[in-house]
Amino acid sequence: LINHMSEAVAAAQKSKKIAKAGPGRQVRLWVRAKFLSFRRSKVAQNTNQTILRLEGVNDRTAASYYFGKRVAYIYKTHSGKAENRFRTIWGRISRSHGNSGAVLARFATNLPARAIGSTLRVMLFPQRG
Amino acid sequence: FPCETMGKQLTRGVNAKGRSATKSYARFKFSKKVNPKKVVEEKKESTKQPKWYAADDVARPFKSRKSHHRITKLRSTITPGTVLILLAGRFKGKRVVFLKQLESGLLLVSGPLKINGVPLRRVDQTYVIATSTKVDVAGVDVSALKDTDFAKKRVAGAKKSDGEFFKTETQKTPLPQERKDL
Repeated sequence: LINHMSEAVAAAQKSKKIAKAGPGRQVRLWVRAKFLSFRRSKVAQNTNQTILRLEGVNDRTAASYYFGKRVAYIYKTHSGKAENRFRTIWGRISRSHGNSGAVLARFATNLPARAIGSTLRVMLFPQRG
Repeated sequence: FPCETMGKQLTRGVNAKGRSATKSYARFKFSKKVNPKKVVEEKKESTKQPKWYAADDVARPFKSRKSHHRITKLRSTITPGTVLILLAGRFKGKRVVFLKQLESGLLLVSGPLKINGVPLRRVDQTYVIATSTKVDVAGVDVSALKDTDFAKKRVAGAKKSDGEFFKTETQKTPLPQERKDL
């Protein structure tokens, strides 16, 4: 069991990439995630929960690294002052969805449907160690 | 014989005994005719009846149930000298050296300042990735640093007018020399 656990952790570690920054390079401290869909059955959807596909995360064990991590949906508006142009809705990854590494996330306010297919940012915090 | 339980509160608004018993306790407490011994002592103190009795039952605050506050448990991978990666905040992405855990549970961390511009700073454990790289910090003495050193300096004084208040906020406190040396 212990071996299996450490393998799982290793698998999870592999799937998170932290780019080594050369001088002056931008470092991306978040993982790209696609907003696939709201959690749904064939004819009804639950807009409280979103299904995300994280880049590079292909199985359930790797996805477990991301539980609790905060997710941001960032969007632009053209109303409001310049500081307010980019707005975010924050959420957290709550659980996995299926065996192929998809996860469920819940947001402070539900995501708008136009966000389906867009890229969200999955932060690396809170780190559970 | 009236006793302590007469005035006792079971919970706010509910007394151990009824009104008349509580009343008699109040009388008992403030009466002079308790013990001959006590009367002798009390002669030196003023023997005036208090001018004011609380009409309503005096509410006592509940005893706090907060348990002993513990520091967040430090991850086993984080030891003094570990290089950490900051995940958020002004210095996100920077690699810094862990020095010690403060009493609040936050981690004391330093760039060091001369290397990457990260000063002595507090950071939460959950916003940090520990790497396996360790640096020797045996020569660094941080035992004197506490959470209170990082508190924003408040300008003490009487009430200020609006204009003054905004002025003091923009003052930058220069980094004390000792921090720079570290």
